Amino acid sequence: MTENINFILNSALISTLIDPTITLLDFIREDRKLTGTKTGCREGDCGACTVLAGIYSGGTLTYKTVNSCLLPLGNIKGQHIVTIEGLSTEEISPVQKAFIEEGASQCGFCTPGFIVSLTGYLLSGGSSDRDKALDSIGGNICRCTGYSSIKRAADKVVKIFNSESYSGKTDIESLINTGLLPGYFKDIPARLAELQEKPQRVRAETDKFIGGGTDLYVQQPGKLREIRTEFLKGHIPETIDSEGGICRIGGGTTFEAMNSSPLLHSLFPEIEKYFRLIASLPIRNSATIGGNIVNASPIGDTTIIFLALDAWVELNSGTKKRTLPLKELYTGYKTLKIEKGEYLEYIGFYIPTGKYAFNFEKVSKRSHLDIASVNSAAFFEYSEGVITNARISAGGVSPVPLFLSKSSEFLAGKAISYETLSNTLGIMQTEILPISDVRGSGEYKRLLLNQLCKAHFISMFPEIIKEEALL
Amino acid sequence: MNKKEKVSVGLPDNLREIIIEIPEDEPKPWDGKSELNYIGKRVKRIDGIDKTTGKAKYTFDVKIPGMLYAKFLRSDFPAGTISEIDLSKAQKLKGVYSVLPAQDDLPLIIRYAGQEIAAVAAETAEIAETALQQITFKHTTSDFVLSVEDAIRENAPLVYQTTVKEKTTEGDLDSSESSVVQEGNIRGPKIFPEDENAEKFDDYLRNCEVIHTAEYRTQVQTHSAMETHGVVVEWGSDDKVKVWASTQGTFSVRNDIADYFKLKYNDVRVITEFMGGGFGAKFGAGLYGIMAAKLSRATGKPVRLMLDRKGEHLSVGNRPDSLQKLSIGTTKEGKIKALKLISLGTGGVGTGAGTSGPIKNIYDYEKIYVEESDVFINAGPAAAFRAPGHPQGAFALEQAIDEMAHKLGIDPLEFRRINTTGNYIRQTQYVLGAEKFGWDKRNQVPGSIKGPIKRGFGVANSVWYYIYNKGFVATVTINRRGEVQVINGVQDIGGGIGTVLAMIVAEELGLEPDQITVKIGDTDNGFGPASGGSQTTAGITPAVRNAAYKAKIRMIELAASILGKTTDKVTMEGSRFSDGDDISKSLSFQQVAAKIPGDEIRVTAERRSDNLGREEIKTTIDGVQFADVTVDTGTGVVKVNRIVAVHDCGRPMDRLTLESQINGGIIQGISYALYENRILDRNTGIMVNPNLEMYKIAGARDVPQIETIIMDFNQAMNSTGAMGIGEPATIPTSAAIANAVFNAIGVRLRSLPITPDKILAALEEQSK
Ligand SMILES: Cc1cc2nc3c(=O)[nH]c(=O)nc-3n(C[C@H](O)[C@H](O)[C@H](O)COP(=O)(O)OP(=O)(O)OC[C@H]3O[C@@H](n4cnc5c(N)ncnc54)[C@H](O)[C@@H]3O)c2cc1C
Ligand code: FES
Ligand code: FES
Repeated sequence: MTENINFILNSALISTLIDPTITLLDFIREDRKLTGTKTGCREGDCGACTVLAGIYSGGTLTYKTVNSCLLPLGNIKGQHIVTIEGLSTEEISPVQKAFIEEGASQCGFCTPGFIVSLTGYLLSGGSSDRDKALDSIGGNICRCTGYSSIKRAADKVVKIFNSESYSGKTDIESLINTGLLPGYFKDIPARLAELQEKPQRVRAETDKFIGGGTDLYVQQPGKLREIRTEFLKGHIPETIDSEGGICRIGGGTTFEAMNSSPLLHSLFPEIEKYFRLIASLPIRNSATIGGNIVNASPIGDTTIIFLALDAWVELNSGTKKRTLPLKELYTGYKTLKIEKGEYLEYIGFYIPTGKYAFNFEKVSKRSHLDIASVNSAAFFEYSEGVITNARISAGGVSPVPLFLSKSSEFLAGKAISYETLSNTLGIMQTEILPISDVRGSGEYKRLLLNQLCKAHFISMFPEIIKEEALL
Repeated sequence: MNKKEKVSVGLPDNLREIIIEIPEDEPKPWDGKSELNYIGKRVKRIDGIDKTTGKAKYTFDVKIPGMLYAKFLRSDFPAGTISEIDLSKAQKLKGVYSVLPAQDDLPLIIRYAGQEIAAVAAETAEIAETALQQITFKHTTSDFVLSVEDAIRENAPLVYQTTVKEKTTEGDLDSSESSVVQEGNIRGPKIFPEDENAEKFDDYLRNCEVIHTAEYRTQVQTHSAMETHGVVVEWGSDDKVKVWASTQGTFSVRNDIADYFKLKYNDVRVITEFMGGGFGAKFGAGLYGIMAAKLSRATGKPVRLMLDRKGEHLSVGNRPDSLQKLSIGTTKEGKIKALKLISLGTGGVGTGAGTSGPIKNIYDYEKIYVEESDVFINAGPAAAFRAPGHPQGAFALEQAIDEMAHKLGIDPLEFRRINTTGNYIRQTQYVLGAEKFGWDKRNQVPGSIKGPIKRGFGVANSVWYYIYNKGFVATVTINRRGEVQVINGVQDIGGGIGTVLAMIVAEELGLEPDQITVKIGDTDNGFGPASGGSQTTAGITPAVRNAAYKAKIRMIELAASILGKTTDKVTMEGSRFSDGDDISKSLSFQQVAAKIPGDEIRVTAERRSDNLGREEIKTTIDGVQFADVTVDTGTGVVKVNRIVAVHDCGRPMDRLTLESQINGGIIQGISYALYENRILDRNTGIMVNPNLEMYKIAGARDVPQIETIIMDFNQAMNSTGAMGIGEPATIPTSAAIANAVFNAIGVRLRSLPITPDKILAALEEQSK
């Protein structure tokens, strides 16, 4: 199957009839022979293949970092793709300069990926919050330098960027003036405006829907060539709205779009903390909520979050729409009540009104960016020291993402106390059945879930439940 | 003819003068008093622009017209015999040029899951992949062993029916070995000292006043360089072979290919313009190199064979695991009398699992006894990995030392101090490191901190060796326009040797490093060292300086003739040549160069032995690292907050790249301590995590604050005095972390990696 795909690659217009399931990485390296973009894993875990994707929408152009190894051409229509070669023409950019000055490459194989990631960070505002700067390169692996020199280079550019002469301006003209972007970027918005296509109806007669591709392209990249595929990007909603006490999130919404949504921020002030534990920034820029729910991983992070919010999914088959509570969606390991041709159009939940607290916890081997060994979310409504309504979910402790119904039921009407916590733990253990795998033994996962539940209480009710409870 | 020179040696604040004897045509070695412009400073890499703009071409990036893409078919069972292979269906696929078995004649014995069975060369990588699925074979499977414990059991399935010869590379320390016995799956033991009697030694140990014995385990770590192994081979119609290789030893690739195909060395050219990391695993042509060459010869087209991440984890090297039983005997006062190590380890189907470097070379002792054996299992072969054997050895030894100190009630640093009294470098390192780190603020009673988050400090020593080879030939040219080149075959594995060579030539000729053109990474450029054993810099820099010196002498002679003076009257200030009697008469470098007869000055110099006729040169490279960690006793997660690393490395060349080497070594150590682990499925023998998702490597956010103290230790043993740092920095990190974890929680974790579940289990055990 081929399709006409239009996008801009660095300064060149690409208009080509091509199989849309081919990855952007293969296209730029093999077809275009732009070998500055490297390959370290082809699974989204090393960042060597990172490129920028400029998305033009509503008259504005925003750039995000993405892993080109997991990105199908079908998902970049009408975008501006920037590889390392497109970041400098005659003069090197301040990021490249900082890398050279600080000796931030050793073998250099990871360097283009790091430079693209950091440039992406600056393009999105580049605040001087060190944690955020680090988060932007959290998905890049360097086996040589030990990162110290890279962090120095990052600090340096962030500092320059926030200095008076730059003052963090992110409009294209300022960025060109500061040397961060080459001059050809000036015309990109106008050129992209011409490339925009109208959204089309989703074709239900397909073997496989492709969302962000971050899961599919790890699992079965070759197979996609042989089956009928349908790209959802651009054709299903990517919005986050509230109306009539209900929040609805489009099935195509990316993790990062949720992370930066003002609405979700106002509902869950700690949301950035949760998302920092979920995948790397380039993955979050591609991965969708629809994909996370439908891939049915027992430890899908956003699935666990929405389970605790008692969310429902809105499914659409083109001819029929229906709604299902999320907690009833899963029937077994990686099996779910979605029929062929149905796609997840929205996920919705009631916006809480009274006094409530929410928390998400995740533990994995590495401190960051690991797929969880165990994760858990909790949503409590309470009044005067008593829990009025509770919902706890847990991942990694059963074949499906689990809503802990007994524990949740138990908590309703209980005082916020050590005793309640300890009783909850007992009930929780009867609801789960973790297995031993690479991420840890079953026994260990049981222990972890206890710790996570304690952490929920400590984080939601710090006045009443103290850190010592962890012991 | 030799000449005598007076040089200052030792640490900067404690220099001594000695007289050395050196060949007439070599410059006086840089010594403790030399004031240099670039050497020892922070100098930017000369290839910075190429690397930051994506212009740098790695083997992975080589694209030649008509190039075919090759891939391996690998076994998905760990043991068995392939009696027939049918390649015909694969061969018939459109776009497939050649399909070859991995071994010319059958049967092919399979010894690990992931072993190569056949290779395909096709127009695209995708076609090659499809073709692999068309290859069928007849095979039987047999029983297999996946761990040291299983492999040493009586009647365990044998990995080899034949005796295995140790295969070593430039990355290994010791390639000479006397006959080692092989029985069952055990190859060994190698005993040290060879004439020691085990029972007599045990008697001696038993009679020590205080004894500590414990067992320590380390896991298998894979090298995981960012650029995978691979080559592009162009077999010419004239039977001249050109190879682009991601290698840390261009000459080792040349030799392997030439030897295998019975070609002249001169007809094989190996090029490594840029390479994406090796860490010891990239020596020689490998089966991938040989197969690519066969496929290229068969098809008459260039063939690219780069491994994928999975193949990389499975088949081209790893750090062996270890099971070390270690005993220490001391006096009541804490003087070490006896050290004993019984070490078993597996390099899969490969060898090289010894761990005894640290125990033999760090502490003073009266008596030592070491028994170390390789155990074969059905897993991918080990390869030299950054300081082979030493991180494993240090993990056991340095924890045992800590445990002994604890037993004796002596501060662990003090215990180390009183048992390394003869080593003044170490003594200085302890003082410098402890002060910078704040060792005195350490939690005096392990595990005594209140609350769920516990912080602890730990320390560990490392040892490595000053190793160099001879015979490398460096060429320096100066042409009539004054352009300067330095030429040698050495590859830059990432350590920045190209930049260092430019610095040396610039230093000698009074120029700036970016005025020097560096031509390296090509076997046509003259013999250069392999980057193994931290010997690149020590190997090649003296030859380069000697060549630059010779070129300088030629320039001075030329200047003298222009000025109409004798050479001893010509002085050199920067790159200007002046008449010593009248310094207003001077010539620029370009002015002198313009008078070069013919086209250029071209001189070569060789790496010779270090200067002779002097007291012994110190051949250990010492280091100590301090770790500060916190342990979350709720989740078991360990976080490393800070590492202070004190290392000696001879004369530092480029401090920027040197620090980077140390930082990189430390992160690999942290990653080894906490995350990395090759896991084999017990039932199938297949690696469960041959990727970077489940095979976790430390990322930018796992990195602690790292502070390095580099000791400028001058021995002036040759013209540059460089030693090495590539390996030492990764040796003590995991042990220092383990000791810090003990200091935090009061429980010992004697097994790597220190994962959250192990911490929680250990805490639970303790609370019982
Ligand atoms: C490096 C890396 C790190 C990761 N880290 C995390 C992590 O920390 N936490 C986590 O939870 N996950 C993680 N993931 C997994 C993955 O990114 C997520 O599950 C992601 O949400 C999948 O979304 P997608 O849009 O990319 O899905 P895709 O790969 O496009 O699709 C996944 C599946 O969902 C189906 N699908 C997609 N969208 C829809 C829809 N709207 N309607 C119906 N079916 C649909 C597809 O047909 C497919 O079967 C990680 C993945 C990678 C590669
Ligand atoms: S190649 Fe590793 S993230 Fe894409
Ligand atoms: S410099 Fe080698 S991987 Fe980063």
